[in-house]
Amino acid sequence: MADDDRALEALVVIFVPLSLVSIGGGPSVFAEMQHQAVMVHGWMTAREFADLFAISRAAPGPGSTLATLIGWKAAGWSGALVVSLAFFLPSSLLIFGAGRVWNRWRGSAWHGAVETGFAPIAAGLVLAGAFALLRESGSLAWATAMIVAGCRIWRPALHPLLLLNLGATVFTLGRAFS
Amino acid sequence: MLGDRKTRVSSIAEKPDGVGLASLFLLFSQLGLSSFGGGVSAWMHRAFVERRGWLGEAEFSAALALARIMPGVNVVNLAVLIGQRVRGPSGSVAAALGLLVGPSGVAVGLMIAYGALARSVVLQAAIEGAAAAAAGLLIAMGVSSAMLLVGSGTRFRRGVAEASPVPAETGHAAAALDRLRGRRRAAARLARRSPSLGAIAVLLTVFVLIGLLRLPTVPVILGLAPVSIALALRCAAERPDGG
Repeated sequence: MADDDRALEALVVIFVPLSLVSIGGGPSVFAEMQHQAVMVHGWMTAREFADLFAISRAAPGPGSTLATLIGWKAAGWSGALVVSLAFFLPSSLLIFGAGRVWNRWRGSAWHGAVETGFAPIAAGLVLAGAFALLRESGSLAWATAMIVAGCRIWRPALHPLLLLNLGATVFTLGRAFS
Repeated sequence: MLGDRKTRVSSIAEKPDGVGLASLFLLFSQLGLSSFGGGVSAWMHRAFVERRGWLGEAEFSAALALARIMPGVNVVNLAVLIGQRVRGPSGSVAAALGLLVGPSGVAVGLMIAYGALARSVVLQAAIEGAAAAAAGLLIAMGVSSAMLLVGSGTRFRRGVAEASPVPAETGHAAAALDRLRGRRRAAARLARRSPSLGAIAVLLTVFVLIGLLRLPTVPVILGLAPVSIALALRCAAERPDGG
């Protein structure tokens, strides 16, 4: 039990600062998570960390559930809970405060201008994000992405889940027959 | 669909009435549990801008950019902002919990049940396929936004003009404009001729700097935001009647 307590304490000490410096999103601190979990604290091997990463990608939702898995591996359910709070709460409080300030100015001239000015930036970010997902991938991934994008634009009623299944099926079949 | 969405480009959307916390939680749970391989923000866009119209296109963009600049997981930040907009502080809690609890549970469950499966070739292939498709969802979202920028320069100008009802605020805008005028003359001239051209230039710059050249996101946004906002102010001031 003492070991578990020490692990929980270490998890808080690691993940609260990571939450506050994860500028650019969760993946920006994955490397540090790995370093801490594998090298510094020895909660798992590098191979096991890679497994956790794969599982977090297979699970639905944000890929940063990886943090929760690290906590679970280090100290069971209480570890999962502690890490979830330590990693998601501090940054959420910050963005909540920022949102408050932002909403207070709703209706003013510069608020509207900032929204309008952010529109092309956000669109560029979204496209850059898609490109980052595809950067290391082969032509099958590019083709899948383009077909899915085409379907979404021309047939918006198609459920995205259907398209994700399509991608998964195409790749699984591709792997099976190659 | 695009026709529908153009009507919601204005930066001020109707705040939804009577959305229960439980239904907000369930809605975000549904979004979290449905998105595989990334692209959660595309699901949120579909749910809140396209389907329900709780947020305007520009409002969503601003939240997205703010969520990126601040520390934290981008989509969790976005959920906090959307929840806040819809239902205040408790809305933020419901949204963030909804997005995280279900998927975390599934991830731990997978871990317990199928830890060894992580190395399965078939699973890896399925994940890669879902990720490729999720990238496709993001591309569709980005392209649709770009089409709105091209198609509705006038609407964006009008959005800005509508958002400045107080004369004092307009004074601020004009002062800011004066300061920026010297530095941004060329860009502003371009924007005056065609507001969408300026916006598309900003979009492409972001894509090239972050997507192709892999520069860090935050400095790029902070550097480009003043330019893009100045363009918006300029357009609003040049044609206050919006057309």
